[in-house]
Amino acid sequence: MEKTYLIAGLTVKMDTYGRTLEQAKPYLYDVSGDCDIAIVSNWKVFRDEFPSWSDDMGEYIFSGFDFYKKLLGYDGMMVHSSAVVVDGTAYLFTADSGTGKSTHTNLWLKQFGDRAYILNDDKPAIRREKDGWFAYGTPWSGKHDLSRNIRVPLGGVAVLNRAEENAIAPFAGVEAIQQLLKQINRPKGMDCRVKVMELLDLLMKEVPIWKLDCNMEVEAAQVAYGAMSGKDA
Amino acid sequence: MKLKEGFLLREIAGETVVLPTGDDLDLNMMITLNETGKFLWQRLEQGAEEAELVEAVLAEYEIDAEGAKHHVHAFLEKLNEFGFLA
Repeated sequence: MEKTYLIAGLTVKMDTYGRTLEQAKPYLYDVSGDCDIAIVSNWKVFRDEFPSWSDDMGEYIFSGFDFYKKLLGYDGMMVHSSAVVVDGTAYLFTADSGTGKSTHTNLWLKQFGDRAYILNDDKPAIRREKDGWFAYGTPWSGKHDLSRNIRVPLGGVAVLNRAEENAIAPFAGVEAIQQLLKQINRPKGMDCRVKVMELLDLLMKEVPIWKLDCNMEVEAAQVAYGAMSGKDA
Repeated sequence: MKLKEGFLLREIAGETVVLPTGDDLDLNMMITLNETGKFLWQRLEQGAEEAELVEAVLAEYEIDAEGAKHHVHAFLEKLNEFGFLA
């Protein structure tokens, strides 16, 4: 059955099932009239190409893919990252899978207790709005379904590397562009690619970007927070 | 001499980058261009031949004919080496 939702500040129509339906529940929203986005999951079309995926998994991946593609039309994109909020500001930690994004944001929860929560553990949406950049939880939040239906000002994005010692520094130039592009959804087609590059350009000009070397001690969270918030942990 | 189809020159955060836009996007194919590189790329996009590129460089920059020829040739060789020429 088709239901209506409010996701990343946009009204969304979606007819889905299973895990996707379940994870979208906190986003249900009554809409009269047209929605900004109508999600079309192409899972049924591509099912044969992914024989190892369950329908549940396929629907989840393809519905998310369509949402994030259409989000580009509203100056928004998905950054493959774990997003943690402290004192009302969101910080995104991005890296290849397996690098330890969630491990790192968990250190933030340890350090900051009640002041912190996970906004989205895998695929937060970010949007450029009139009053700045914001991060949003979405129903597509990774295996643990750690996500909240909240809009939070975006305080910074860090590209994370595992290291023995903790260190953080501003990140710019070609390497930063390459590392960030890798973790942003890039739907096929020239229009989408151009839009992604326009948004990345603005993101890098308007939001602090960092390179974080970190280990698995809670000190890593203190070092990252110190630079990214400009305050002592 | 022609650029391969499907590459896009953009300014991102102060860098001039050329990215493949094809569906098999390989980010390792991303290159950055300096000012003269961008100047030459944009003329290649318009279909300029090597001799025209040399003329354009001579008109735009303070460089002698020998230097311009050498510079343009080296740039084209590099593009070819990285697979940007058809």
